[in-house]
Amino acid sequence: MILEDGRVVATDEIGQLGTVLRISAPGIAGQARAGQFVHVRPGLSFDPLLRRPYSFNRIDRAAGEIELIVKALGSGGGWIASRREGDRLDLLGPLGSSFVIQRSTRNLLLVAGGTGIAPMRVLAEQESGRRNVTLLMGGRSVAHLWPSDRLPASVEYVTTTEDGSFGIKGRVTDAIRPLLEWADQSCACGPWPMLAALGRLREEAERAAATYPGRAALLETQIAVEQHMGCAMGVCRACVIVTADGNARVCREGPVFSLGDVAFAEGEPATVGLS
Amino acid sequence: MPWRRFRKKVERPIDVSKSIEESLDDAADGESEEDAAELAELDDATIAEAATGEPNEDRAPTELGDKLRGVLESAAERGGEARRERRPRSAPRGIALDRSSGAARSDDAHAAPESYPELGVDLSVEAARGLRLKNPVMTASGTFGQGVEYAELIDVSRLGAIVNKGTTPAARPGNPQYRIAETPSGILNSIGLENPGALEVARKYGKAWAELGVAVIVNVAGYSVDDYVYVVHEMTGTPGVVAYEINVSCPNVKGGMLFGCDPDLAAEVTSAVKAETDLPVIVKLTPNAPDVVAVARACEQAGADALTAINTVLGMRIDTRRRRPILGTGSGGLSGPAIRPIAVHVTYQVAQAVAIPIIGAGGITNAQDALEFLMAGASSVQVGTATFADPLAPLKVIEGLAAYVKEHGLASIRDVIGVALPAPED
Repeated sequence: MILEDGRVVATDEIGQLGTVLRISAPGIAGQARAGQFVHVRPGLSFDPLLRRPYSFNRIDRAAGEIELIVKALGSGGGWIASRREGDRLDLLGPLGSSFVIQRSTRNLLLVAGGTGIAPMRVLAEQESGRRNVTLLMGGRSVAHLWPSDRLPASVEYVTTTEDGSFGIKGRVTDAIRPLLEWADQSCACGPWPMLAALGRLREEAERAAATYPGRAALLETQIAVEQHMGCAMGVCRACVIVTADGNARVCREGPVFSLGDVAFAEGEPATVGLS
Repeated sequence: MPWRRFRKKVERPIDVSKSIEESLDDAADGESEEDAAELAELDDATIAEAATGEPNEDRAPTELGDKLRGVLESAAERGGEARRERRPRSAPRGIALDRSSGAARSDDAHAAPESYPELGVDLSVEAARGLRLKNPVMTASGTFGQGVEYAELIDVSRLGAIVNKGTTPAARPGNPQYRIAETPSGILNSIGLENPGALEVARKYGKAWAELGVAVIVNVAGYSVDDYVYVVHEMTGTPGVVAYEINVSCPNVKGGMLFGCDPDLAAEVTSAVKAETDLPVIVKLTPNAPDVVAVARACEQAGADALTAINTVLGMRIDTRRRRPILGTGSGGLSGPAIRPIAVHVTYQVAQAVAIPIIGAGGITNAQDALEFLMAGASSVQVGTATFADPLAPLKVIEGLAAYVKEHGLASIRDVIGVALPAPED
């Protein structure tokens, strides 16, 4: 983990998904792994004050570059998303835990919701040469999906949209069952309700017999989560969630957790507090 | 869900490299047996020397042994403070405290390269009675963890001191989410003193603190006078610790601010803690007190060795979409540049009311901000929230103060302390 002065190399608008910033940051690119994130300072002053966390959407070690998907939300996200070629960005990273793909996994299922595509794209690029990879992505409409021409050709790409404008109408959980049956392992990133729905499927599978379709992949699911974050260095304890091992910091023990370790409550992370 | 300590997991899909805290945790497991042996190695002493805290006269003299002897002798002259043993457990942890340097260890493994701009500039200050620091810049409690986290990024031995995360007698899981919200030039937080408890903090971080080569001030929090005394008792003898900062001002736990709002209660806590330790006792004031100057005076009379001004200011943000407060506890503590004028004002008021040193804190981001506090009467400062935006902020303040001393041809940074205060009336 280092502080690095990154330089924006290129920018691209991806429909309604956000702005993809390609940033030259050889130090961070050299250490980064899928699922980890970088904490970006949203300006030169202390207003807005907090850095913004972004999961790597691409890690190009050879070129010394990383890509991030930035939504122009609020003043901080707006400032970062409006950076253009040649602009500098104050980066802190790579931070947090990363996805671990089992060597024995032959069929890998990646599940993405919205900007949760970021780490799934890294995994798709990293793993498609080693095993069979299917990416299942859901979005509100076709404008919220990741473009297929920015994925390795060997990756099977399945999409769902809530308005039915592209692919299967519905959510990723409406299309996931046959893919889980096929997969040995799955990784997911997306909004909390999506992760909570996966958590319910996993609980169902855990209680069921070994012959339950997709049981193995569900039990082996890893997820990357989001939480309101402060320092991202593990000191402020703002970003904790409840896990099987008690409070865990999303910035340190996370953002990647075993699905079965994370406690949900009504589609959100379980509330942390005194009992 | 009951609170459980976070332990190393076998199946967790985390990268193979352990976090520094996990490594520390591993190292701390089964430490009681190895304590003396490891400390002996640390200090180049024999196990007997480490266990008794005294050099073995029969052993061939070593450079470190000579140092240890020298420090112990000078400590004995001051009343044997450094050797005071309150209970058996703390004895092997006993460390000779060299107050003249403000650091717990003189053989600093993190010796600053010659390029550091603050070298050769007199930045030393008296941060509290009996506590001289090499420079006036500390990190504020709750924004620097236990020091080991940011040590991965910066040379923490350059800091005047670090103040650790508020430590309570037992482990606390903290408050419900959300715990943080951004505000104009600041943040609101309601963490709720999540910490592993005093015994665990001492066990897990004592050795690391000694190795970091930085003075550590333990921030002590609690709900009763006994709580504060208990934490200080548990921390006694922990390597690296040079003082206690009594947190009578946490706005985020029930009753946390109680002691800081009432002069009599603040005085009661202060004198109780003073009776428990020989180390300097600093009381952290809350700007939410009806009369903060009265609290400051009461703490001074009760024996406080310094006052920190200020803790966070109570505040709230509303989520207009969900139509409820953003923070899980409703209100929280406001910090960052937004509160700096409030903090400077409290410093200025308190400086005129007490004779003990004041530690200025609240929204400091650079040397200019720090100078405001020093000129308002603080003799040292804490950098807190700014570190989240810029982890280099505390070091930049040190460098900026050094540059100021040089540019203005001052003999020392102490020359600016209190210069903005009105001339005392005769």
